[in-house]
Amino acid sequence: MSDVPDFAAARDHVREELVRFLRSLRRAGVPVPANRGTTAARALVEVGFDDEATARAALRACLVSDPDDVPTFDRQFPEFWRRLTAGLAPGGPAPRREGPKGALAPLGGDPAEGEEVALDTRDAPDAGDDESDDRAWETTGTLGAVVSRSGDEADREATEAAWYSPTGSRTSVEGAVDEGRALAAAVDEVAEGVATLRGRRWRPGGDDRAHVRRALRSSFATGGTVVSLPRRERPPSEVRALWLVDVSRSVLDTVDRSFLLGVLRRARAEWRDSRVVFFDEDAREVSAAFDEPTATAALDALDRAAVEWGGGTRIGGSLATLRESHPDAVDGRTVVFVVSDGLEMGRVEVLERELARLARRAAAVLWLNPLASSPSYEPTARGMATALPFVDGLFAFGTPDDLAEVGRQLRRNGAGGRIGYEYDPRRGGSDTPSPLA
Amino acid sequence: MTDRRTTAFADVTDDDLRALFDEQDYVAADDIVTTVLLALRLGKPLLVEGAPGAGKTELAKVLAAGFDTDLVRLQCYEGLTAENALYEWNYTKQLLAVQAGDDDASVFAEPYLLERPLLRALRGDDGPRVLLIDEVDRADEEFEALLLEVLSDFQVTVPELGTVRAATPPVVVITSNRTRALSDALKRRCLYLHLSPPSVEKERAILARRVPELDGAVAAELCRMAGRLREEPLRKPPGAAETIDWARAVAELRRDDGTDPLSPAEVRNTLGCLLKEVEDIERVDDDLLAALVEEANAAGAEAE
Repeated sequence: MSDVPDFAAARDHVREELVRFLRSLRRAGVPVPANRGTTAARALVEVGFDDEATARAALRACLVSDPDDVPTFDRQFPEFWRRLTAGLAPGGPAPRREGPKGALAPLGGDPAEGEEVALDTRDAPDAGDDESDDRAWETTGTLGAVVSRSGDEADREATEAAWYSPTGSRTSVEGAVDEGRALAAAVDEVAEGVATLRGRRWRPGGDDRAHVRRALRSSFATGGTVVSLPRRERPPSEVRALWLVDVSRSVLDTVDRSFLLGVLRRARAEWRDSRVVFFDEDAREVSAAFDEPTATAALDALDRAAVEWGGGTRIGGSLATLRESHPDAVDGRTVVFVVSDGLEMGRVEVLERELARLARRAAAVLWLNPLASSPSYEPTARGMATALPFVDGLFAFGTPDDLAEVGRQLRRNGAGGRIGYEYDPRRGGSDTPSPLA
Repeated sequence: MTDRRTTAFADVTDDDLRALFDEQDYVAADDIVTTVLLALRLGKPLLVEGAPGAGKTELAKVLAAGFDTDLVRLQCYEGLTAENALYEWNYTKQLLAVQAGDDDASVFAEPYLLERPLLRALRGDDGPRVLLIDEVDRADEEFEALLLEVLSDFQVTVPELGTVRAATPPVVVITSNRTRALSDALKRRCLYLHLSPPSVEKERAILARRVPELDGAVAAELCRMAGRLREEPLRKPPGAAETIDWARAVAELRRDDGTDPLSPAEVRNTLGCLLKEVEDIERVDDDLLAALVEEANAAGAEAE
């Protein structure tokens, strides 16, 4: 046989490994578009296979379009590179280096030729059998949240201990949903104050577009000559909101559940884009449950979803989960409402970091605290004090009047103005800030 | 579709690009060089994201200056329309032509066309231009749809004239501050580059290039403090651009005696160049300020 390399085999090997890598990234949650495989292949051809760092930069530019996905890419790339170069090396596979083990294990492909350490070859993601590094995955019923669990019993116990808080037991949703007129008016008032999206209606003024009819009408007086061009615009009247609702025991003992569900239900129904995420130890999106046709059905839907009401609270960790699982949930036009008493049981450093990120990305962060309904309330709790610098306003949240006050302040001073519980006239009888401010 | 045959930069090498960045005093890490090289050689638009002040816009300027070509800039904003971005008809000129009674010639012809940035970038006869679509996340989501034809086929359609296709595709740099998520369709057409805040070493190299009048030890102190402040949960962490501004301010203030270590008062008085939110400035209390200066002075002594 001649010593000419088998280019066709090398090409097929590169293509196969690249496809394997793409699948692995997608399974890890990186949204790699369908056409990126071709681009990545072209990029690899351009930069060659000599330098790992260059190839890494090239593939990252092709396959990743969100900085939050970079760590996932970086975790998986070494394994891809090792397999790729192992298949191309004439002397056999490259030695395994330090790094994440079995990063490509869920792919379902066969191990590369000469592979010494067997990778899991089963396609199902929950079919691992390596006891030392076995991770299985499960989906939580209706809500579709994916959580990881450890393979052995000891780890499972530890995981469960993290899920259930010692502060309270589970309880189901009870009570009727408040859909009164006062609540509806209050929610509408809040919408007026935080509207960030342009609605469908036009009004004179602005500079969006020429008002042709008005221009023609006024031109009759000048013999058909358009002297000035009236304009019209679509003012902001629609809301894009994300409701982060703390469903820990301490909140549920304080807030009127029917009021809470009434607010969420109306916001979901009336605002242009309103998502609802419940959190305690973790975050779960439950927006769909509020789309049921009747209020009772919404409650039933929540029951069916087996929402775990009443755990402890890790606000920072929940925000991190939300950021990772729903990276597009918040953008510059999204107003974030956090319904929580601010009692953080996790690390406040995490809370601080996540809220700083949230505040940077969102149009506004408004904190609705049931405890702030008390005139003597002070935000001295560790979590609340940490969160305070990053929220645009901290408000009481317990009755439609509280919500109306939120709307009043927002309409008067805007989401970025002097707003918050300290400017609530019901606390000190005036519209000026209390000494607590 | 774009292919290599229509890409003007198919022969650009890694060394060429490094030399270009070097000439333009742009300190680029290896991954930036590789990504830009790929964008040039594959003829793909480059989507650059990162915090404000990370050097996204500067990248396009550097490429334009380095290749000695025009920079066509489309600054995006809310309400940006196709007319603002593509082309408009010169109505006044059309009206005059009609009134002059020149019935033979159409008023929807080349002489009456006003080029806007996207069209201007595509119609360059003297080689490819650099098209900077700046802060695309400020524009409405609908505007992104307009960009898709330009980014994938490097062409636009003017109904009265037909399709205008670039003879050689421009180098397209799209920047975003991530104030909102961009559409998948837009991302799919672009290579992606995320500019992280620079490391202390990289920032020192930037200052050495951009503010050469500042003493090296003082520059090391500034970089250490900027890096340390980025670890704080600030509302707006400082970018490289802010550090450059700060360095220029400090260099200006200490023209006569520029080698003394930074003092707390000096830092306090110039902190506004680095931090742009009142909450962030208030966060730097006396304790944090003292710790920052002490740490920075140590870094400056090491640099000396």
